[in-house]
Amino acid sequence: MVLNQEELQQLPDDNSQNSAMGNQLPNCPINYSGIMNKQLLTAPIKSATDKFQLLPEFLKIRGLVKQHLDSYNYFIETEMQKILDANNIIRMTKFPHIYIRFLKIRVGKPSVSVDTAVENITPQTCRLTDQTYAAPINVDIEYVTSHDAADKRRKNNFCIGRMPIMLRSHSCVLHGKDEAELARLGECPLDPGGYFVIKGTEKVILIQEQLSKNRIILDTDKKGNINASVTASTDKIKTKTVIVMENEKMWVQLNVFPKKVPLMVVMKGMGMESDQEVIQMIGRDPRYSLLLMPSIEECSKNGVYTQQQALEYLDSKAKSSTYSNNPSEKEGRAFRILTDVFLAHVPVHQNNFRAKCIYTAVMMRRMMDAILNKDAMDDKDYVGNKRLELSGQIISLLFEDLFKTMILEVRTHIDKLLEKADKAKHFDITNCLQGKPTITNGLERTLSTGNFDIKRFKMKRKGMTQVLQRLSFISALGQMTRVSPQFEKSRKVSGPRALQPSQWGMLCPCDTPEGEACGLVKNLALMTHVTTDEKESPLISLCYSLGVEDMEQLSGEELHTPDSFLVIFNGLILGKHRRPQHFATAMRKLRRAGKMGEFVSIYVNEKQHCVYIASDGGRVCRPLVIADKGISRVKDDHMEELKDGMRTFDDFLRDGLIEYLDVNEENNALIALYEGDATPDTTHIEIEPFTILGVCAGLIPYPHHNQSPRNTYQCAMGKQAMGNIAYNQLCRMDTLLYLLVYPQRPLLTTKSIELVGYDKLGAGQNATVAVMSYSGYDIEDAIVMNKSSLDRGFGRCIVMKKYTVICQKYANGTSDRILRPNRADSSSRQQILDDDGLAAPGEIIKPNDIYVNRQSPIDTRSNIIGSAANLPDSKYRSSAQSFKGHGGEVVDRVVLCSDKNNNMCIKYIIRHNRRPELGDKFSSRHGQKGVCGTIVQQEDFPFSEKGICPDLIMNPHGFPSRMTVGKMIELLGGKAGVSCGKFHYGSAFGERSGHADKVETISATLVKHGFNYSGKDFIYSGITGCPLQAYIFMGPIYYQKLKHMVLDKMHARGNGPRVMLTRQPTEGKARNGGLRVGEMERDCLIAYGASMLIYERLMLSSDPFEVQVCRECGLLGYYNHKLKTGICSSCKNGDKISTMKLPYACKLLIQELQSMNIVPRLKLAEA
Amino acid sequence: MEGQSYARMPRVKIRELRDDYARFELRDTDASIANALRRVMIAEVPTIAIDLVEIEVNSSVLNDEFIAHRLGLIPLTSDRAMSMRFSRDCDACDGDGQCEFCSVEFHLMAVCRNDETQDVTSSDLISSDHTVVPVDYSESAASIDASDGISGNKKGGITIVKLRKGQEVKLRAIARKGIGKDHAKWSPAATVTFMYEPEIHINEDLMESLTLEEKKEWVESSPTPVFEIDQVTQQVMVVDAEAYTYDDEVIKKAEAMGKPGLVEINAKQDSFIFTVETTGAIKASQLLLNAIEILKQKLDAVRLSEDTVEADDQFGELGAHMRGG
Repeated sequence: MVLNQEELQQLPDDNSQNSAMGNQLPNCPINYSGIMNKQLLTAPIKSATDKFQLLPEFLKIRGLVKQHLDSYNYFIETEMQKILDANNIIRMTKFPHIYIRFLKIRVGKPSVSVDTAVENITPQTCRLTDQTYAAPINVDIEYVTSHDAADKRRKNNFCIGRMPIMLRSHSCVLHGKDEAELARLGECPLDPGGYFVIKGTEKVILIQEQLSKNRIILDTDKKGNINASVTASTDKIKTKTVIVMENEKMWVQLNVFPKKVPLMVVMKGMGMESDQEVIQMIGRDPRYSLLLMPSIEECSKNGVYTQQQALEYLDSKAKSSTYSNNPSEKEGRAFRILTDVFLAHVPVHQNNFRAKCIYTAVMMRRMMDAILNKDAMDDKDYVGNKRLELSGQIISLLFEDLFKTMILEVRTHIDKLLEKADKAKHFDITNCLQGKPTITNGLERTLSTGNFDIKRFKMKRKGMTQVLQRLSFISALGQMTRVSPQFEKSRKVSGPRALQPSQWGMLCPCDTPEGEACGLVKNLALMTHVTTDEKESPLISLCYSLGVEDMEQLSGEELHTPDSFLVIFNGLILGKHRRPQHFATAMRKLRRAGKMGEFVSIYVNEKQHCVYIASDGGRVCRPLVIADKGISRVKDDHMEELKDGMRTFDDFLRDGLIEYLDVNEENNALIALYEGDATPDTTHIEIEPFTILGVCAGLIPYPHHNQSPRNTYQCAMGKQAMGNIAYNQLCRMDTLLYLLVYPQRPLLTTKSIELVGYDKLGAGQNATVAVMSYSGYDIEDAIVMNKSSLDRGFGRCIVMKKYTVICQKYANGTSDRILRPNRADSSSRQQILDDDGLAAPGEIIKPNDIYVNRQSPIDTRSNIIGSAANLPDSKYRSSAQSFKGHGGEVVDRVVLCSDKNNNMCIKYIIRHNRRPELGDKFSSRHGQKGVCGTIVQQEDFPFSEKGICPDLIMNPHGFPSRMTVGKMIELLGGKAGVSCGKFHYGSAFGERSGHADKVETISATLVKHGFNYSGKDFIYSGITGCPLQAYIFMGPIYYQKLKHMVLDKMHARGNGPRVMLTRQPTEGKARNGGLRVGEMERDCLIAYGASMLIYERLMLSSDPFEVQVCRECGLLGYYNHKLKTGICSSCKNGDKISTMKLPYACKLLIQELQSMNIVPRLKLAEA
Repeated sequence: MEGQSYARMPRVKIRELRDDYARFELRDTDASIANALRRVMIAEVPTIAIDLVEIEVNSSVLNDEFIAHRLGLIPLTSDRAMSMRFSRDCDACDGDGQCEFCSVEFHLMAVCRNDETQDVTSSDLISSDHTVVPVDYSESAASIDASDGISGNKKGGITIVKLRKGQEVKLRAIARKGIGKDHAKWSPAATVTFMYEPEIHINEDLMESLTLEEKKEWVESSPTPVFEIDQVTQQVMVVDAEAYTYDDEVIKKAEAMGKPGLVEINAKQDSFIFTVETTGAIKASQLLLNAIEILKQKLDAVRLSEDTVEADDQFGELGAHMRGG
């Protein structure tokens, strides 16, 4: 209560401040209602700053990964039941009265059953014990077991499998928990959730980008022919229908037809026997009929005039199905293709093809438009033509497939049982259902491997899931918002990679990887929402009641009257409307009033004379403030209420102040960036400009001052920065964990940083940077570091690595054992072991130290006589694990658990504290990476007369070509922040709305605190004590330590292992490999003429081999150790044998060629 | 060469002296001496700092190395440091920390038994030698508390680690003598810096040609308060020449105003103003004296090696010069 009062007392203060700020405007809301003062309306309204408050509110209710959670929740709550309803009965083939009917499905609490006892589980326990975080899928079933049909039974909450639970979804134990409760569950409150825990590893299902389904897309093919394609997707079937204009004729391409078939024949097959009707349906423009002429001629040339003829014609063209030989089936084939395959998403009721005909006609009309006017072509890269598939949808596909397989399995199983003689015997049908591992295993396997194999759609995709990168907090977050493309990355195309204008506000323009996936892999922007499916039928009836004329009642002629617009709902033509704008506004009003889902989009396409209404899932959309005639609906009093906690983001939505627009509907909107920019035509106002950036790009201060690729580089590098992972980072058992000893929050923050929580889990340190040249060890972006700063903890990091040892049990009853160590013997390297044979936490572990004193039985196959537990010591051999490290590591934790095979599993976390050394990689937040070039004593470092000595020195040559002005402003702002004791802001595009400090104000702050306005200081050399010739630009910049450290990469070898096959040295550090003298190095040596060096490097140090060569036949012989001569095996003698040295690889080549019937012969000459 | 002497007679004038702060002038010498003094103060004046930590129990959130690093950075009162031996030079012990000549043993035992988090601070360190203890900031902290009215940490001292209920830290630490060159923890200096003393000459005649407005503008162009306008005479005066940071702002401003030569500022090449702040390990005055002592020792070391042939080779002309001088 005391707190509350304090708050209350503070509030009036806030108000007074606000009014003080706003007093240049004659106070706002009341005046609006009065006479519209033009000047007042156009004056820049301070509300921009105010509206920002919406953002934290938005993210509070939404979280950063709401897309995933929403889609998963939708799947669990709605989609699952739908799938169940679609396949709700298992009826026996022979005895149809015996059945199982599924009634209700629900997902229970995350739990695991241990020996019939049910135990609730939390995500953290799953991570630690390598379990899957899953909950039972419970169904209510009704079944008839016996032959007595009346004997219906019910079972409720019958478990058919286990569903992996997405963290923080509604079914998760973490849902709705506050910070303290989360902490009690061992969870980090800043962790966004949205991933799964499968067998102890965290798995993310990447967002998949696809071309939208059930939509007409106009495109040109390779030959330049215009085509219209529809990828139809229904619950049952996925087909692709293409209408293509080739040689001035129109054809239909369908998978079931090996060759394309004439379109007019298809039309006739659907009952459009009269050509005139077709032309009427397309529209009576003479140009259209002209374009259609050749197609009509083609049709009559084939002698197709009636529906019957058309169907027969199509029958003959259809791919002869291999499996069915039933002639009657064959006959109706074309008809069935037309109903089920051709434009599968358009429903055919009682053989009424009219809807399909109209749809085809619309496709034809659009194609002709495109021929007449190239502008009518669709852009495949346009975001409005894309759908994002999220975890929920992906799992739903998988679940449906598995559920169907399970039903099939159960049916065949029961069928078999019933066939047996004692079928009359009463048996419990549910037993067959119980404990089927199909669903559980299927889900678990797919999620852990990422290989999706959905049989129904013949869909095979790899790499759909990824292990959540816990390299840094941002890398995990960045992965959750990543959008991966469908098509292959290798294609050298620029179109899909280019930045699309329609990406604005939806997908981050900065965050994309470099290299092959550049521009294809994208990231969601901060406020993007991805829709889920919405119920269609109420929306359709709403459309009709708002004056959409049903197309069933329309003649072809009426369809395209000039001023009427077609109404297309989720790709289906509903009918037409005579007043499209009126209709659209009515729909939008209803949406704003909350009468239908907020994510339904209404889009009037003037060019195509269509109104598109979409309620399907996977569309990207974002919230915008609604404006009436350029005046924002969000007023100051609303924001006040928001601040007071009287209003939430949802209230704004409900009250129609804010709405979600998808990419298509954005085309009907005129969106002003700021309220001040609004004109009377403006329909919407952006909430905050910096939300066009994503999570990773949001960390960059002043990104709008940087050259754009620099921001892209930083987006990639921010994910490699070390820092804090999560609040529970020390309780986790990650295989590799990089932590910073003293992470800091950036002095120059952005609003995104605060929203995301990067200020709480920072990944870097504020280093005082002097931009100057020093020592020559700073060329090529290298930085010079101050040794004292490193002594005091700058850039210090902890690397934790997990080592796992399994105490295996073998088939013959024997098992590994762990022995008490012999610590007395100093050569045994067992000093760090405890009495239990395991290394003790806190011990310093040296390279080659044994950390598990394990022994394995020699014989693990054959059966043991007597007790397996009492094997004599002689039957064991040591399989002790010795440590391979750098030295200086410490055993951090030892965890014992049992793995899934019930073996004892010993996990070690080995910790290594590292201070920065020469060659460690650092980076600022502006894509300016550099290695540590040298470390210099503090007394040699330059200093200012204030006593400030930089932590690191950066070469000024890094600036001109990189053009990272943002970094300079960061330095200035940081310096001002340090001197005035206040964090400065550098949000993207924030100068205008007050979310970024202007350089002028920063300079003023600097001057106020006795610094030069330009951030330059008068510096003395630490070596001579003389002042430097130039003023030095010096101040704090947030530096990230990247995970690339020399210690992990440094490698050299003298002698070492060789590859078996070629006898050449192995490759790579992990295998203690050699360093290759490659082709280019070889070329240099040749050019230099160092032939002996080449000989030595390429042969003597690699794979020298002595061979016996027969001078007679030129083949390789062998050395006979008995006779002590070389013998040629083809000449059968040793007369003309020479001994010579070859690379072993050469000998191998010769022999491999011989094995392919190629005989290479060596011709020797005296040297 | 013989007759000319390079000997200079530098003078030191102390302006301000507190325990951990000193500001003094060094006159009649050049940058090399000033800088040598600065460098020695930072890197070569010995102090005592914790160098070896044996951890018995550590159930805190921070790991052993982390705590050891933090312990190392705690300043210890090091008045004895000059007379102590370096551990590596000590022949009286085997480096186990029990030696009175080269090391001081510390113990830390802390267990948290309350529900509140408990701060383990440097004041919890128990020293085996009452002359070598963690620097106590409580007095100065108390004075700040009193002035600002902020109730700070009552216990004082530097936080080492915070403990939750049931957590424990128990360790033995050995402090040794060392110098800042080896590790920054042995550096007694928090800040050692100097500046050339500026000489500011205002061209009075030119200045008088400015209006009061212009004068004000000019005075304000300096980011630091160097100049001021006399309320009575309306003349521009130099109030604090040393506040000048050689930023050239006033000169540029004068040029921009069309009055080049309005002011002339020179750095006096032979006088320096030093600012020394210590970590508290030794008093600022002592730091200066120790630094001079060490500088002298170093020079002696060079001088003493004059007979050896290697020195001749090593220093070449310099050696000869030193012998002569």
